[in-house]
Amino acid sequence: MARFIVRRLVGMVFVLFVVSLIVFLIFNVIPNSPPAQRLAGKNATPVLVKSIEEEWGFDDSLPQQYLTMMKKVFTGELIQYSPRVPVDERIVEGIPATLSLSIGAAIIWLFFGLVLGYYSALRAGGKLDKFLTGLSIAGISIPVFLLAPVLIYFLAEKLKIFPNGFYVPLTEDPWEWFTHLVLPWFTVAILSIGFYSRVLRSNMLDVMNEDYVRTARAKGLSERQVMLRHVLRNSLIPIITLFGLDFGATVAGTAIITETLFNIEGVGLYAAESIAKLELPPIMGVTLYGAFFVVFINALVDIAYAYLDPRVRLGTSAQ
Amino acid sequence: MAFDPRPEAAVPAGAPGGALPTAPEGVSASDRGPWYLAYKRFVRNRVAVAFLGLFILIIVFVLAAPVWATHVAHTGPNETHTLEKLHVGGEIREVVTPEGKPIGPQLFGAGGKFFLGADSRLGRDEMVRLMYGGRTSLFIGIVSGLITTIAAVILGLLAGYYKGWVDAIIARTLDVLWSLPVLLFGIALGVSLAVGGLKIGPLELSGGSIWVPILVISIFTVPYVARPIRGEVLALGQKEFVEAAIAQGAGSGRVMFGEILPNLASTIIVFFALNIANNMLFEAALSFLGAGVQPPNSSWGTMISIGEELLTTQPLLAIIPGVMILLTVLSLNIVGDGLRDALDPRAKVRLEAHAGMVEKEGTAV
Amino acid sequence: MRKLFVVIAIIGLAAVSATGLVACGGGSDNNGGSEGGEGKEGGILNATYASFPDYMDPQLSYTQEGWTAMGDVYIPLLTYKHAEGTEGSEVVPGLAKEMPKITNGGKTYTLFLRPGLKYSDGKPVEASDFPYAIERLFKVNSGGSPFYTTIVGAENFAKTKKGGIPGIKTNDKTGEISITLEAPRGTFTNELGLMFAAPVPKGTPDEDLSANPPPGTGPYKIINSQPGRGWEYERNPYWAKANQKAMPEYPSGHVDGAKITIIRNPQTQVNDIEQGKYDWMQNPPPASLYPEVKEKYEGTQFRVEPTISTYYFWMNSTKPPFNDVKVRQAVNYAVDPAALERIYSGQIKGTQQILPPGMPGYEKFELYPHSLAKAKALIAEANPSDTNITVWTDTESPNNEAGEYYEGVLKELGFNATLKQINADNYFTVIGNLSTPDLDTGWSDWFEDYPHPNDFFQPELAEESILPTNNGNFSQFADPELSRETVKLAQETLGPEQEAAYSEMDKKYMEQAAWAPYGTRTLSTFVSTAVPLESVIFNPTFGQYLTSFELNE
Repeated sequence: MARFIVRRLVGMVFVLFVVSLIVFLIFNVIPNSPPAQRLAGKNATPVLVKSIEEEWGFDDSLPQQYLTMMKKVFTGELIQYSPRVPVDERIVEGIPATLSLSIGAAIIWLFFGLVLGYYSALRAGGKLDKFLTGLSIAGISIPVFLLAPVLIYFLAEKLKIFPNGFYVPLTEDPWEWFTHLVLPWFTVAILSIGFYSRVLRSNMLDVMNEDYVRTARAKGLSERQVMLRHVLRNSLIPIITLFGLDFGATVAGTAIITETLFNIEGVGLYAAESIAKLELPPIMGVTLYGAFFVVFINALVDIAYAYLDPRVRLGTSAQ
Repeated sequence: MAFDPRPEAAVPAGAPGGALPTAPEGVSASDRGPWYLAYKRFVRNRVAVAFLGLFILIIVFVLAAPVWATHVAHTGPNETHTLEKLHVGGEIREVVTPEGKPIGPQLFGAGGKFFLGADSRLGRDEMVRLMYGGRTSLFIGIVSGLITTIAAVILGLLAGYYKGWVDAIIARTLDVLWSLPVLLFGIALGVSLAVGGLKIGPLELSGGSIWVPILVISIFTVPYVARPIRGEVLALGQKEFVEAAIAQGAGSGRVMFGEILPNLASTIIVFFALNIANNMLFEAALSFLGAGVQPPNSSWGTMISIGEELLTTQPLLAIIPGVMILLTVLSLNIVGDGLRDALDPRAKVRLEAHAGMVEKEGTAV
Repeated sequence: MRKLFVVIAIIGLAAVSATGLVACGGGSDNNGGSEGGEGKEGGILNATYASFPDYMDPQLSYTQEGWTAMGDVYIPLLTYKHAEGTEGSEVVPGLAKEMPKITNGGKTYTLFLRPGLKYSDGKPVEASDFPYAIERLFKVNSGGSPFYTTIVGAENFAKTKKGGIPGIKTNDKTGEISITLEAPRGTFTNELGLMFAAPVPKGTPDEDLSANPPPGTGPYKIINSQPGRGWEYERNPYWAKANQKAMPEYPSGHVDGAKITIIRNPQTQVNDIEQGKYDWMQNPPPASLYPEVKEKYEGTQFRVEPTISTYYFWMNSTKPPFNDVKVRQAVNYAVDPAALERIYSGQIKGTQQILPPGMPGYEKFELYPHSLAKAKALIAEANPSDTNITVWTDTESPNNEAGEYYEGVLKELGFNATLKQINADNYFTVIGNLSTPDLDTGWSDWFEDYPHPNDFFQPELAEESILPTNNGNFSQFADPELSRETVKLAQETLGPEQEAAYSEMDKKYMEQAAWAPYGTRTLSTFVSTAVPLESVIFNPTFGQYLTSFELNE
């Protein structure tokens, strides 16, 4: 087991290294617009451009620049270009909003996904099942960037049921915090509700055919007890691993579009803003911390899986 | 996320051995062969057939673009009509008002011109752009779906068959792709390519080319298909018929492509359909973010992003292309689902077993 | 990037490259005094910007948002009159007692600091704080530093950052400041009035202080600056105690403070102003809502504010097809400002010349009334050898649409045009880099740095401003005679004679069709019912002054 964990962690470091390298290279090969020229502005002179190159180290060799940047990532010294404030500070400022959004959305999609999936499975083939299947397929087919503006337009601007975006800190006003987040939560969750309900449904249908379920039934347990105690419980394991992956992806990725559309001052909005301005330091910071989060949770999930299911462990270490 | 590159959405949890091959035990079930049976099963699924019909209608709709443009709308998709006037009934209407408000849907009021109104302050014909945009969106979805599927099958086969370090390298590469923030990366690439384009050996990509979004989409969706395929190959590798082939001295290539690949056929078909759906959402997201199809060309994604600006005054401009994407993706998802049910008898048996119709089940591997 | 860029558009960061704006008249009878309208004194103004300024640091900020945000916080030696329109373009004494004495053939400027001035932290303002600020400008590599490189020794200081700038001599006892330039510079009084030259206390760190802006001399000070989110103002305690007495003509302001919130979605901003959640939005309403807002609120809560800016298409005059003046003239005939006015939802006013209304020296003329037939005839005459051209524009709406329109026009003229849209924050760097391939023609705009007509000729049309990178002369237009004249005029102080010369120059450049201009941009003031609209002053260079805002009883 220890060997497996070590191997997995080494793999994780490798992945992060490659990710950082790719991001660094992409933003350094944007043709014809070196950052020093961009920072120097419309009135720039060659002396000014050169001076900026020296100040930021843009005149170093690429490997040297990469090393400097990575060092700054680890020491938390990344500075954004304009205004020149620490990247870490901006990220930390955005974390409460991003976590509020992701955790709230995760709770909603888990709750609705599981409830709908459970009832779909109970009545597989029935009208409710068909309806829920249709609903979940529709859910995964809606483009979020269309759903969000339409929700904002109808529910926030026309009917004024919900506030129009923004984030109110939980500590400032819990009720406002809640009402401001309802639309964004559902926007993020709607896709996963469908997905989770379908995964749970098919897992449950699998489990229902297992011998021990039949045994349980034969023992005379009530249908409800069989379902909850045996079927549901055993169907949840893959859901939990899936949830780990998805939650990581939400925190690191989904936030970008949703936060932008709803004007939530989180890490995602910061990332989007930085891409718009082509500022490498914050993009690097957000990407690496985000990737770390995803990779770390992936690794945790793998390790948990290996722990729960020895076949995985053997399968991998057999090589 | 704006799109969900997870074709497993329709397949039992991404764990190894999701969908299962029809061969060889299925063959004995009928002398007509498994494909015929699958066809029969699919046709019985009325919903799936109906949505297949819808998908075909959409294809016909976008293919009719040049006909509509030349004979009805009398304008191309990128022609601007900012200052033009339109005769509707006895009335003269401006395509774009002096305040910059584009004309709304005219249906056949102006003989089919501006059937759905003008797209923006540039006064382009929304209907013509919708049809041409659909071509672009579908083209990108299908081509990138093909590329992804081929790449994923090859990677999945190699990883699942050779295991060991081959598997490790492929798995880590997929991890890298998985952990890169897709949108961020796609946008960054789009920005980089906007100025100069990219040269990889003999291949040359110019910034405005639709091959940029196609490549980005193809590369990033590979892990979502390759992982389950690898799992399936792993499972298949332990089957008797594979072991038998190896024992008879068949080479790796023969075993992979001759023995294992045919058994992946049903999975591949299902994934392909679902992949197109996801890729179309992906394309829309990229275009919406400005990193996909480049103006003045249209795609449904770019049309949403143009229309979104006018959402408060002319919501239809964003909603119509949005609904087109929704319908296309929905029909592909439902057809893909129907295909899965039809090609994967076990899934069907499982369902029917519970419904109490069939008491017999094929014991899983 | 349009929408990431719109997302980015959506991300909708209005990257206003403008640095100065003009308000001609604007329908207000306010003459810029501090007496104001019917509002009360006191209260907190609740306002919103669409984005945080580039920097909240007087030496670094080079955007209109930044200058508006800091206009009444950091007062330079000279400043612009607290007034609208042409009156607001007048340079008046700020921290200096009077306008500079110009001697030595236009090379030496002598000013005296007003006595008794204090910073918001209580420190006295000294004459030597001025050279400190100019040195700081160079040390932080500010985009504004090139305005001051003509000061003797500044060029060298820019390279070494050591040893001070010998061209500036000060005497802290008498408050005398004397600045010597390498050569006469007719624009230097304007440049002394820019935010870049506002004194800051000696010892202010040589780094961006956006998160903690340095002490200033104006009636308000900035507190709680949170980059990306917002900031607040409160009254400068030393204004009433000291500075107000020293500079009585400078307005003291009505509100006790202000709270600025960044709201990135301008549609939300408009809703919030309508509902009274905020009192003022700094940026204009989005194009989609603009007609509605204008119709509903013009005169009561909304006012159109003209800017000193020109929107134009540049054409690379160094290679075919645009090296032929006939082709460039054809483009001028073919581009229809009326169509572009619609594309900009009425937020530009069509003009076809280089100098915009509101700029000294502007005189209206129309060389190229729209005529596609004439354009086509000229093209036929020129018969260009190369018809494959690339059209450049940025991703920000409606500039991207203007680019798409222009591409259509060129296609109609028979060119095989390809459109390239570049992310707005990257655009000028890309087209200003002469090694970028296929720089044929494209969109651009120019907002004044200060109301001096030279600002519209030297940086973007003179031969010597063609630079390999950070080029501003996108047409790469090099007419030796016109360039010589531009450089010569630049040394003279602006008077009626010079204004006439600039007006003539405008015509000459347009006869050569150096650009295809199509309009001048308007901005706006949009306030809630809590603010009397007529009290708000929109200055051409500094935008709305915080000191002019009042709140109703």
